[in-house]
Amino acid sequence: MSSPATACRVLDVGAARLAVISPIASFHAQLDAVYPYMDVIADEGFADVRVSLLPETRVLPGRRQARLWSEGDCPFEPYPLNAALPLFEWGSNWLLSQRLNAYLLLHAGVLARDGQALILPAAPGSGKTTLSCALHLAGWRFLSDEFGVVDIERREVLPMVRPAPLKNASIEVMRARAGARLGPLFPGTRKGDVAHFIPNRQSFQARHERATPRLVVFPRFTPGAALSCVSLNPMQAVLGLGQNSFNYQALGTAGFETAIALARTTRAYRLTYGDLDEAIAQIEHLFVSTA
Amino acid sequence: MISHLDAEFALLASGLRSPLEIEEPTWDRVLRMARASGLHARLACANEDNPNVPECVQRHLLSARRIAAYRAQMVRAELFHLAPFCTPDLPVVVLKGGAYLLQQRRMARGRFAADVDLLVPADQLQTMEARLRAAGWGGAKLSPYDERYYRDWSHETPPMRFPGRNLEVDLHHALTPVTGDLAFDSSTLFERSEPIRGTPFRALCPEDQLLHACLHCFHDGDLALRVREVVDIDGLIREFTRDDRFWDKVVARAHELKLTRPLWYGLHFAGAWLDCPVPESVMNSLPAPSAPARKLMDALLPLAMLPLHLDGPPPPSVRLARKTLLARYHLMRMPMHLLIPHLARKAMLRLRGSREEKKGAPDNGAP
Repeated sequence: MSSPATACRVLDVGAARLAVISPIASFHAQLDAVYPYMDVIADEGFADVRVSLLPETRVLPGRRQARLWSEGDCPFEPYPLNAALPLFEWGSNWLLSQRLNAYLLLHAGVLARDGQALILPAAPGSGKTTLSCALHLAGWRFLSDEFGVVDIERREVLPMVRPAPLKNASIEVMRARAGARLGPLFPGTRKGDVAHFIPNRQSFQARHERATPRLVVFPRFTPGAALSCVSLNPMQAVLGLGQNSFNYQALGTAGFETAIALARTTRAYRLTYGDLDEAIAQIEHLFVSTA
Repeated sequence: MISHLDAEFALLASGLRSPLEIEEPTWDRVLRMARASGLHARLACANEDNPNVPECVQRHLLSARRIAAYRAQMVRAELFHLAPFCTPDLPVVVLKGGAYLLQQRRMARGRFAADVDLLVPADQLQTMEARLRAAGWGGAKLSPYDERYYRDWSHETPPMRFPGRNLEVDLHHALTPVTGDLAFDSSTLFERSEPIRGTPFRALCPEDQLLHACLHCFHDGDLALRVREVVDIDGLIREFTRDDRFWDKVVARAHELKLTRPLWYGLHFAGAWLDCPVPESVMNSLPAPSAPARKLMDALLPLAMLPLHLDGPPPPSVRLARKTLLARYHLMRMPMHLLIPHLARKAMLRLRGSREEKKGAPDNGAP
């Protein structure tokens, strides 16, 4: 059934292996742009997510669209044909969030220094992605802007090194920072304008190196807000981890015990900020003083 | 092509019962087929202690078992909340998955429980509905037309839900649509029902439980990927036939309720796809469909029900099979003079709805 034009592409992003088939040439160019360090991997084993990105066959007036297919099903609304990358990134992340219940999955940015992890759990719209990217540019190893993948037995965090989708105003904020590398801009998607921030080669190559949780910061960006940092006790930290998890409830006791262990072995803070650099400096300070 | 796909499905079918010894790329295909048809937690349970499962696959099997356990727990919790409404004057029969769970059936292991389906006597439906509403359960606001559809032509109330929980509770007063060809009097279902130990609920007797599973599998909607319901049928048969007299009882009961055709299909496809041990004498004691009907179903059902196309949209043959079976379902469900206006109305609403749906950005992380 597959033609040479639709050969399968495999991406190893650390905690997961993704396989994608698509005849859309622009999509492959976009993938190349946002996964610049990815080697060609032969498709001969297992993949955690397998999707096809196909042009919509229906001929209708207006723009052509791309659909994401997973196991014979099309779980999402289509995207414009030339914006297949955001559909692939968000769609495959959503599928991963349904399937990686072997782990406690936090909705969190994760960075590391010397094998010690900083976890940034937050609700959508809190500035988690932007803060994760800014910390990465400030020297931290990038593990993820979206998934805190916690090994339940070993209580370590696994990297999921994927391009981080910056939205709307954060695109220019990050573009202005030295060393930032961004993929193509996709204006006017269902989630607004999107451009992907590309983690550096070192972080990508370390995508199988786990990190030990050391500091948990619940960030909240509020325009114009003065920096405010509140220490949380372990009970508050457990609640926050549970609230910012994809599967805390579904994991039952395993999720509960892992969240408690995380809260007991880390320090936790709530950080409200209006200035990115102040937030970074504060986090550096907290990380050092938590040693 | 077809026989190759059938061979892959046969692998999944055997993996639902006993550990598989296959390589990683084959696991990839089998797990995807299982996922496509909602059978992955069953596959996971049958392979829980299988030492030959590669680690990357084992993670997904564990994930599936956890989700199935969570959903089963949610169903048990919902039933726990519903228990106080069962009073001696109002028998409540738990149908399908909820019953399999409470009865601790072996075949409930790894079965994804979805909603809670309850059967109450028709003349007590309103009482039960009023009890639920008084306690906080409620339905989505329906249009007067949909409301009437449920009340007059269906065999259940519009789905109800307790605020903050996402399980639906459906109250049934019959197992078939009241306007359909297969409609029958429900009263004997209650007479033959059995108490579920440790709960105030009742369950259908084994014969009725199997007949209901067959009815639901082959006479409900477009049958897309319904193979998991054939797996239910297979699982029930394997449990019930430990009673030597089960086959005689279920055949007699099928004749009594005029449900021999759904039973025939259930046994036929459970045998063909899942190697279900159905004695030939049992098949011979049920009136078989005519040769052309049988040929047609043998051609359409695998296309509609089996998860064979994973890499894109279902091919035209599959879509045609599903449409044909959907037409068959509608014809059996309602007489023409009700059906045609009903479908026309649905089609119009869909046209209007498709222009309005899903404008805002989704907030659950979906693109």
